[in-house]
Amino acid sequence: MSAIIEVENLSFGYTPQSTVLRDISFVVMPGTFLAIAGPNGAGKSTLLNLLCGLLSPRSGTIRIDAAPVESYSTEALAKKVAVVWQEFIPVFGFSVIDTVMMARTPYYGPMGFESEADREIVAEALEATDTAGFALRPLGSLSAGERQRVFIARALAQNTPILLLDEPTNFLDLKHQVGIYDLLKTAQLQTGKTIVAVTHDINLAAQYCDEALLLGADSDYQCGPAGDVFSTEQITRVFGVKVFTGKVGKEKFFIPLGKFAKDNGQIGASPNS
Amino acid sequence: MNGQLTAKKLAVRTASGLVVLIVVMAVCSLVGAEKVSLKAVVDSIGLREAVSPDYEIFVRVRMPRIFLAAIVGAALASSGVVCQALLRNPLADPYILGISSGAGLGAIIAVLSGLNWTFVGRSPIAVFAFAGALGTIWLVWFLGRLTGKFHVTGLLLAGVVVNTFFSALIMFLTLVAKSQQVYATIFWLMGNMIEEDFLVLWLGAGCVVAGILALFYIAPQLNALSFGENDARSMGVNTARTHIIAFGVAAFITAIAVSLSGLVGFVGLVVPHAVRLIFGPDHRQLLPMSGIIGAIFLVVADTFGRIVVAPAQLPVGVVTAIVGGPFFLVLLIKYGRKVSWLK
Repeated sequence: MSAIIEVENLSFGYTPQSTVLRDISFVVMPGTFLAIAGPNGAGKSTLLNLLCGLLSPRSGTIRIDAAPVESYSTEALAKKVAVVWQEFIPVFGFSVIDTVMMARTPYYGPMGFESEADREIVAEALEATDTAGFALRPLGSLSAGERQRVFIARALAQNTPILLLDEPTNFLDLKHQVGIYDLLKTAQLQTGKTIVAVTHDINLAAQYCDEALLLGADSDYQCGPAGDVFSTEQITRVFGVKVFTGKVGKEKFFIPLGKFAKDNGQIGASPNS
Repeated sequence: MNGQLTAKKLAVRTASGLVVLIVVMAVCSLVGAEKVSLKAVVDSIGLREAVSPDYEIFVRVRMPRIFLAAIVGAALASSGVVCQALLRNPLADPYILGISSGAGLGAIIAVLSGLNWTFVGRSPIAVFAFAGALGTIWLVWFLGRLTGKFHVTGLLLAGVVVNTFFSALIMFLTLVAKSQQVYATIFWLMGNMIEEDFLVLWLGAGCVVAGILALFYIAPQLNALSFGENDARSMGVNTARTHIIAFGVAAFITAIAVSLSGLVGFVGLVVPHAVRLIFGPDHRQLLPMSGIIGAIFLVVADTFGRIVVAPAQLPVGVVTAIVGGPFFLVLLIKYGRKVSWLK
């Protein structure tokens, strides 16, 4: 089986003087759930923008389904890659179903209207994300968690093999964070989608993702199975904080320890207990 | 799912709107300072001589005027929809990027130049206003692009700067001009519905209808752009092409409206909001319905202007604000709770 995303010697900077990403290479196999993590400014969201063709590399190549990303038209790329951006609420009150139906834009006929097949796909996406119950409500009237589910429904309705997400659990409480990851994992397992999520939540990423790309400062990066990449040493080194690493069954979890953490010395002394 | 827009629903609503527009235009043609008998008009159809005065008023005075109001109303309302969508700003109207000051500057330059010719039946004021409007939108676009790729804030700021600069130039030229010349410009800029040349009207109508059809063609892309540039691109929208088509066409039909009637305010701001409150924000419906309702609104407003202080007349811009303001408030109170952008 060949990789669905191939990144080879990728470098990028917003100005000729600055470099955000330097010489990065990795592959993502079809049906993989990849987390991109790292400290602020490491280039996680920049990498996501490069993967969906919004930015062009300074050097190196990105291939989506074996073809260079720049060889796709905007419409053709939208049939390969769907993106859930950090929340943006439109000024005017589109309803939930209007919003999800927009995912079918690349598939519209010449008259600009959706077909019966488009409506069925949208209905399935609403069902899968448990948003059908409020399909007619305006987007602005929903809670942050409900809205994020709607944007994921829209990405699912775009019917692409690849789904990219930029910090999908930002601003959500614990229940909704878990709910979003459950939803993504279900989509991965049931439909075989390749999912790439930029995240700050290493614990959820370690729990749900198969692979991880940990971006550090000065072009330092690690890519591989999530269990290997998310280790006490790597996290301490990349983020520059001491962490307590615990284990429940096979699941690892990490607690960052600041200098005012209660019993800091005691916990830090036996990090893998 | 119920409530979803379909091609059939849109066709029925558009056709119904067009029927209402035609009825309103017909009724308004019979209303005015001079009473016009429909029977006298009908009896004179086909006669070469001895036509009734009613027929003369109906065909030569009222119909061109009402036709003009419909064209201008449709153009400004559709253009307002596009400006609000692209700038993602409820306060946007067709004049927000400096078209009004560009047209005004063009008009005052034409007056001060003392030119005395016509182009396709249009006076130098109208021609210069048209060129000024289009030139300004190009300048604002160019300045906005200097900030990098297309950026809403950059474009809005460029519009504000150009608007302020041109307004200062207009004030300067007004001061140095002779008062009689200035009066002609100010009267023209206040908005008027005087046009007797049917060729000009047909040309204007053709351009505006073609423009609205072009905008309708990119309506799904405008829907996606309401969610921001990144979302639109990830949904397969070529945002650069959509921006150029949308701004270009909106500026073109606004410039046509300005060159036909001067500056008529309020229509381009309020009609899109009113239509959005009733029919929702989907641009596939919003564009044609705003065009039709904008036309109806301006025809009715101009008719008020003709009859309220008859035999004198109110400038249509004054009427649009007096009639439109309270009407919009009623809509806002009735439907406002249902829409998220007011929350």
